[in-house]
Amino acid sequence: MAAGHRGNMPDIDFRQLFDRLPSPYMILDRNCRYVAANGAYEAAVMRSAEELVGRNLFDIFPNDGPSGVALRESFERVFATGEADTIAYIPYDIPRPQSLGGGMEKRYWTAVHTPLTNRDGEVAYLAQNTVDVTEMVRLREAASLPYRSFSGETQLVERAREAETAHRSLLAESAEFRRMFEQAPGFIAVLSGPDHVFTFANDAYVRLIGGREVIGKAVGSALPEVAGQGFIEMLDHVYSSGETRSGEGTRIVLQTQHGEMQERFLDFSYDAVRDLDGLVTGVFVQGMDRTEAVRTLKHQRLLLDELNHRVKNTLATVQSMAKQTLRAAPNMQAANDDLEGRIIALSKAHNLLSQTAWDSTTMSDLVDHEFAHLDRARLAASGPDVLLNPKASIAIAMVLHELSTNAAKYGALSGDEGRLDVVWQVGADGDLVIDWHETGRALSAPPSKAGFGSRMINAVVRGELDGSVNASYETDGLVCKLVVPQLSYIRTRDHA
Amino acid sequence: MPDVSGKLQGLNVFVVEDEALVALNLEDMLDELGCTVIGPAMRLGRAKEMLDGAFTADVAILDVNIAGEPVFPIAEQLAVRGIPIVFATGYGQAGLPTSWHSNPVLQKPYTMDEVSGSLAKALGGG
Repeated sequence: MAAGHRGNMPDIDFRQLFDRLPSPYMILDRNCRYVAANGAYEAAVMRSAEELVGRNLFDIFPNDGPSGVALRESFERVFATGEADTIAYIPYDIPRPQSLGGGMEKRYWTAVHTPLTNRDGEVAYLAQNTVDVTEMVRLREAASLPYRSFSGETQLVERAREAETAHRSLLAESAEFRRMFEQAPGFIAVLSGPDHVFTFANDAYVRLIGGREVIGKAVGSALPEVAGQGFIEMLDHVYSSGETRSGEGTRIVLQTQHGEMQERFLDFSYDAVRDLDGLVTGVFVQGMDRTEAVRTLKHQRLLLDELNHRVKNTLATVQSMAKQTLRAAPNMQAANDDLEGRIIALSKAHNLLSQTAWDSTTMSDLVDHEFAHLDRARLAASGPDVLLNPKASIAIAMVLHELSTNAAKYGALSGDEGRLDVVWQVGADGDLVIDWHETGRALSAPPSKAGFGSRMINAVVRGELDGSVNASYETDGLVCKLVVPQLSYIRTRDHA
Repeated sequence: MPDVSGKLQGLNVFVVEDEALVALNLEDMLDELGCTVIGPAMRLGRAKEMLDGAFTADVAILDVNIAGEPVFPIAEQLAVRGIPIVFATGYGQAGLPTSWHSNPVLQKPYTMDEVSGSLAKALGGG
């Protein structure tokens, strides 16, 4: 009743009206405590309102059987949904007061539960209008077989009983389905009408849309960011044509709980919902959030691209090595040995890197691997722990290989006398300084400037590592200082 | 493949390539084709310095990925100056943003014929 009409109401005492209604009425709060009961109700349950008000219905009328459960569930439905609930037929025995002899009295009822709101508009109470139909049931029982002469009233009760049974089982079934839909791993929503108004959205759907309240709202206003992304057009199509629309890994931008826009990828299907006449009344939305899977796939694609890039670059490096080696080699045997040595050096550096998932190597590891084939008695190599990024690892490994091969073939380690001292350190400015010191034997054949070894060392250290090379061929042997700036060797998070 | 080496004679080719050995090989190839190598720049910073200095080039060969960084900022500066660009990459054409799809691509590892062919194409002769 609209508030405006109240002023025109005749002077009626509604409390009195309630009390005098010929049908039994009572009011319960959310804890099933009596708030009020009228005279007809007092008579029906053989209790005065004073005995009832403030007390729990189930304390006064305990019932652990199915009827107690049914009554409780009916109350809960009213408080949960804010909608009236009817129990057409319910056997519910009540204790007879001591003054009337005590014991239990068998009773049959029909009840309608109507929600009542408080001033804040919340469902705080329910009104029960209950009718005792025990007499009619007794009549039916009295008219037992073989004389099937039910009165109209007993047939009505019988139909009510049947309808109630069917209604309860349907309710239970529908509640079960609802629970299943609510908790389904995929997202499910039901849209109604041409504006696609949400009538149902399960937990997964609500999570997908950042926990927003959508029930009762049209898609366009509930999820404004979806406009212009093609989905509403698809819903329009399903609603108008009845045809299914679906997508796989379809990109959608949705608002998160924190109000940010986020990209998701969905597998989904829009199916028409039809009424009994076959007319489309809405759209059934279901699908899976495939964002993680799509991201994994993209990441794999990225890794594959990266792998391809590295393989192609390595092949190009080997191609260059082969060409340069063949060009400089005096004969096929030398070409074979040189090329093999260089490819093995490159491969060793790759081995070291793969041990750390292509993160880094240390100077000590590189030196150990590169010097493994040399005479350790005439060789000393020392320096602090320095981590090298992958690019610097490979570059320095190749340089160490060229220098050590040169020392073994033509330099200090080629005869029986000389020795090699390698010392590396990190300067105050962070530069890695490698001192290569051969003593005891001058080069048997000083390398030509254009030789592959020195060309490569120059290109790698000066070009690739942005450093410097200072080599001098002393009478005593090769002395060489390599400087690699910190920026070139330092390990950073995504170094290629 | 038509013989284009004659047309390439004397060209100044700007090279950006971060792998020293690959750069060496490309230098040798360009040398054989009669071209003069500008660079090679093996780091983006170095390439930028060269562009800011007294820079002249007839054509450029750019490795797409320079120590983990894309070479496209350099490519844009070259394009502004009207210098034709060949991209060298391990990724293939798919690794290029669509705006550069019309540029010739050298798929690593490449041969001298492929280098001369792509240069000719970039210069509008192939």
